[in-house]
Amino acid sequence: MSEIELVDVQAGYGRAAPVLRGFSVSVPAGSVVCLVGPNGAGKSTVLKVASGLLSPRSGRVMVGGKDLTGAGPQKMLAEGVALVLQGHSVFREMTVEENVLLGGYTLKDKAAKSRRAKFVQELFPVVGERWHSLAGLLSGGQQKQVEFARSLMVDPKVVLLDEPSMGLDPKATSTIFEQVARMRDAGTAVLLVEQNARRALQTADLGCVLDLGRVHISGPAADLLADPQLGELYLGGRPAEKPPVP
Amino acid sequence: MPSGALLLQSIILGLLLGGLYALLAAGLTLYFGIMRVVMIAHSAFLILAAYLAWWTNDRLGIDPLLSMVVTVPLFFGAGVLLQRGLLSRLRPVTLTMMSVLITFAIALIIEGLLGYVFSGTQRRIQLGYGTESFNLFGARVAVVKLIAFALAAVSLAGLYVLMKRTQFGWALRATIQHPDAARLVGIDTERTAGFGFGLGLATAAVGGTALSLDTTIYPSLHWHWIGPLMAIIVVGGLGSVPGAAAAALVLGLAQSLLQIPMGATWAQTVFYVALFATLAVRPQGFFGGRLAQRF
Repeated sequence: MSEIELVDVQAGYGRAAPVLRGFSVSVPAGSVVCLVGPNGAGKSTVLKVASGLLSPRSGRVMVGGKDLTGAGPQKMLAEGVALVLQGHSVFREMTVEENVLLGGYTLKDKAAKSRRAKFVQELFPVVGERWHSLAGLLSGGQQKQVEFARSLMVDPKVVLLDEPSMGLDPKATSTIFEQVARMRDAGTAVLLVEQNARRALQTADLGCVLDLGRVHISGPAADLLADPQLGELYLGGRPAEKPPVP
Repeated sequence: MPSGALLLQSIILGLLLGGLYALLAAGLTLYFGIMRVVMIAHSAFLILAAYLAWWTNDRLGIDPLLSMVVTVPLFFGAGVLLQRGLLSRLRPVTLTMMSVLITFAIALIIEGLLGYVFSGTQRRIQLGYGTESFNLFGARVAVVKLIAFALAAVSLAGLYVLMKRTQFGWALRATIQHPDAARLVGIDTERTAGFGFGLGLATAAVGGTALSLDTTIYPSLHWHWIGPLMAIIVVGGLGSVPGAAAAALVLGLAQSLLQIPMGATWAQTVFYVALFATLAVRPQGFFGGRLAQRF
């Protein structure tokens, strides 16, 4: 069953030509789906539509089988869709604790909030270690983990990640992709948009190549990685002979 | 060389004055933090609250402090209406510039209404304890100045607790620091910003009442205040309430000490010197850090 599904979506900004032109994607439960493609292909627009930040001009957005086309971000969050923005979006002058607990802003049950807070601290140990630090003082990779933890506070069905490795050094990037895999292992589906396509596909279960607002090709991530033509066109060269350990 | 007693007197008065400045500037920095709005009308609302306190005492014969029972919720509601009905409708690209023009117009309207209703005559609250003072380590401290300082201290402490310990305070700080991320965790940022704006105007109700205890008021008095208050929030770091409080205490103290050699009129220039120095040396402010990012 799909946690979230975009069906034949057309979407764009203002009166400009549509960015997405009949785009469809499905994110099965407990899987990581990675969207890759050149700049301007519409990857971030997919996440905006999926999170309710942008209403599609046509097509449908289904969450857990329910049609939520046109619903706003608060409704999408309530239905279990959380978005982690591109770049850094922690509340810099608030502590890690405050950041994470704000992730559960919509939770009324204090005990449930506290259980989730404990869960995310276990999932992302650095979050627990820096619990009382100001979030703005953390490294880029640590801040990103705080954002992941914050997004998981509402126990979402699916988390949308927009370029999580942007601006991070290779070591932090590795940690981030390890954490993406841990999120999946903890039962949360992930729709991932990433410039670092090869590395992202190594973590993902399914891949989807987006070009000019449409799906160019999709399938198991390992197959996309192994396709030399695709590697030349979209993944920045030939596939690595020996893929690094995810 | 000033005597030790005079110096002590100036330091105590400077700190009391700085505390009041901190409250008067708190709302101004909140507006900027929440919405990037430069609220020129803040000091006009202060004077409006001062007039209502004077009216309460003069016409109803009750303590001016009791006027806050009405003015605080009234100003809060007015702030919410102002933000939701007017300022939130401005285009984000021109918001800061347009807010200057709009709030300038609101200040003129308030000044005109005060002149129309109460005339241009100078008013001063006559209180039984208005001339009383007490001795503190050899310095004479007026009771009304202490009451004004206490009002400011209690209000700022309340504001601090509200921002740090309540769900609304967290939501407001999140909205100030990263509106998009705040929206994504489920905060209704428009509603929160409206309440935040109301909170800022409620501080004007308390500040105006505190001001009225020891100040002669007239409709155009707000022009005298807006410059120093703007200087305080820039020196403190736009959007930072603790920054504004620290800057207010330092500048209030400096003003009070400079009055000894320079007199009251020239001592006032300390605000503008500090403003120019801040813009030249550290435009983000001396106490608040990054623009509009702190509470």
